[in-house]
Amino acid sequence: MAEPLIRMQNIRKSYGRVQALEDANFHVNEQEIVGLLGDNGAGKSTLIKVLSGAVPLTSGDIFIRGKKVSLRSTSDAIAHGIETIYQDSALVTQLSIARNLFLGREPIKPPRFLNRMDQDAMNNVARDLLKQVGISKNIPPTTPIGSLSGGERQAVAIARAMHFDSDLIILDEPTNNLGVAETQGVLSFVRSARDSGHSCIFIAHNIHHVFQVVDRIVVMRRGKVVADDIDPKKTSVAEVERIITGMSDKEIRDAIADGKPSH
Amino acid sequence: MENHSLIQRLIARPEFGPFVLLVVEIAVFWSFNHDFLSPQNISNTLAFTVELGLIALAMTLLMTSGEFDLSVGSLFGFSPVLMWTLFNSGLTSLEVGFVAALLVAALIGLVNGWFVTQLKIPSFLVTLGMLLVVRGTALFVTDGFPQRTWSAEGSWLANILVGDFFIGPFRIYMSLFWFIAAAIALGYVLTQSRTGNWIQAAGGNPSAARARGVNVSGVKIGLFVLSSVMASLAGVISSLRTSAANPNSGTGYELEVIAMVVIGGTALTGGRGTIIGTVLGILILRVMRNGIVLIGVPGLAYNIFIGAIILGMMALHSWLERRHQAGT
Repeated sequence: MAEPLIRMQNIRKSYGRVQALEDANFHVNEQEIVGLLGDNGAGKSTLIKVLSGAVPLTSGDIFIRGKKVSLRSTSDAIAHGIETIYQDSALVTQLSIARNLFLGREPIKPPRFLNRMDQDAMNNVARDLLKQVGISKNIPPTTPIGSLSGGERQAVAIARAMHFDSDLIILDEPTNNLGVAETQGVLSFVRSARDSGHSCIFIAHNIHHVFQVVDRIVVMRRGKVVADDIDPKKTSVAEVERIITGMSDKEIRDAIADGKPSH
Repeated sequence: MENHSLIQRLIARPEFGPFVLLVVEIAVFWSFNHDFLSPQNISNTLAFTVELGLIALAMTLLMTSGEFDLSVGSLFGFSPVLMWTLFNSGLTSLEVGFVAALLVAALIGLVNGWFVTQLKIPSFLVTLGMLLVVRGTALFVTDGFPQRTWSAEGSWLANILVGDFFIGPFRIYMSLFWFIAAAIALGYVLTQSRTGNWIQAAGGNPSAARARGVNVSGVKIGLFVLSSVMASLAGVISSLRTSAANPNSGTGYELEVIAMVVIGGTALTGGRGTIIGTVLGILILRVMRNGIVLIGVPGLAYNIFIGAIILGMMALHSWLERRHQAGT
C-alpha cells in the first residue's frame, strides 16, 4: 500500500500525571476525508493539537509521505502543509477577507523596500476564491471578517487553506453553532477541498454531519485509537455511537465486520 | 455594500465622529472669542500640540497591536534631563547626548516589550513599573531640580528640531514638519504596508496571527521601542523649544495621549487603529484646553470637559461598532 499522507505512530502525550494519548496510531491517506470521533476527553483534541504543532508530543513519530518530521509550532505545521481551522480562532475579525487570506504572506508591490501590500492582487485572488467555495453573493473581499456569518468565516478559512496548497486541512468542530443551510455549505466546501486534491480531518460532535462527508471514520477512546477503518457507507450511526461510548475490542471487530449489532 | 453612496461611507468611517466634534469645537470657541483663530493663538497651540502628538502617533500603532505604554510621560521628562546632564557635565556634545538619550529610550522600550511578550505580563503593569523607574531616575540624578539648558542657542540640532520661522503671520516650528512626516509615515505603515497588517492582526487575534507565521512578539517589541523613542524625541523637542529640562515634566501625559488615541477611534482592545483619527483626537483635546481658557472657563475645569468628551466619543464608537457588526 502506498505511504499515507500523514502517519502518526505510537504517539504519547502526558500533561503531568494525566496521560492524554497512549500509543495512539493514526493515518490520513491522500485525498481522503477522515472523521475523527470520540467522547469528551477521548484524546482527539490532543491528537489534533500535536499534529497542528500546538502542543509538543511526549514520545512517538510523525511522518509526512513517509518522511519523519518534527512539528514544533503551528507555523511549522503550516510550512509542512498542515492547516488547522478552529471555529473563529483562525481569522482576525477586524481585518478584511483579503487581508486575512494573505496574512503572513502578503504580496508586496515593487519597489520592495517600501513594504507595500499589493492590495489589488489580494482582492482579485480573494474574489476568485470566494466564488470557488461558493460564497460570492456580492460580498466584496474588502469586507471585514467580523461582519460575516459563521459559515462564511469557515468558508474563508477553508479557501485560504486551499489557496496555499495545504495538503491536510484539519477542521475542528466546523459545524458548531451553524444553521442547517450553513452546515450544508461547510460540508460542500470540505468536499470541494477533497476533490481538488486535499485531505481533511473532520472533527464534530454531530455524528450525522460526519457521516455525510467523510470517507473513513476513526474513533478514539481514553487516549487510544480503538477503530480506524470504519466505512460510513457500511456502518450505522448507532454502531459508531456504541463504539464511541465503549464496546470491547471484540465487539468492535464484529460490529465493523458484519455491520450488525454484536449482541 | 459596494453601492453605498460616498456620503454614507464617509459617515461610517471611525474618523467621522471625531471630525465633526473638532469642527463643532472650533466653531463654538470661535463664536465666543474671535481671537481663538488668531495667528498667534494658532501658532501657540500648534507648538505644544505636535510634541504630544508625536507620542500619540506611536501610541496609535502600539494600541492597535493590543498593548499600551504608560511610561511615555516619564520618558518625556527623563530624556532631556539625560541629554542636558551629559552635555553640562562636559562628557559629550549636545548632539551625542541627544543620540544617547534616544538609545537609552530604545533600550527602555526593548525592556518593556520583553517583559510584555516574553514574561507575559500585562503592559499596564510593566509600563507602570517602568514609569516609576524612569521618573524616579530622573528625579534622583537631578535631585529634583531642572537642568541648565541655556547653551542650546544656535546648535544645529536645535535648529533642525525646533528652529522657528514665520509663514505670513504664523510662527511655525520645525517640529510641525516632523509631526506631519511622522503622521504620514506611520499612517502609511498602518494602512498600506505588510507590517500594518501584522500590527492589526497582532491586536485583533494574536494566536491566529502567530499561526500564520506572523512574529507577534517581534511586532510588539518593535512598537514599544518606537513608542519610547518618540516620547524621548518629543521630550527633547519640548525641552529645546522652552529651554527647560525639568525632571517632572511630562507627568500625566500618558493618560492624555491614550485619551487622544481612543477619542480618534483606535480600539483600546487592539486590532483597529487610525492615524487620521489620532490626529483629530490630538487636535480635539488641545483645542479644548486652549479654547476653554480663552473663553474664560477656569483652567481647573479642563478635566471635566476632557472626561465628558472621552465618555461621549466612547459611546459613539461603541454604537458605530455595533451597527458595523450588525452589517448595516
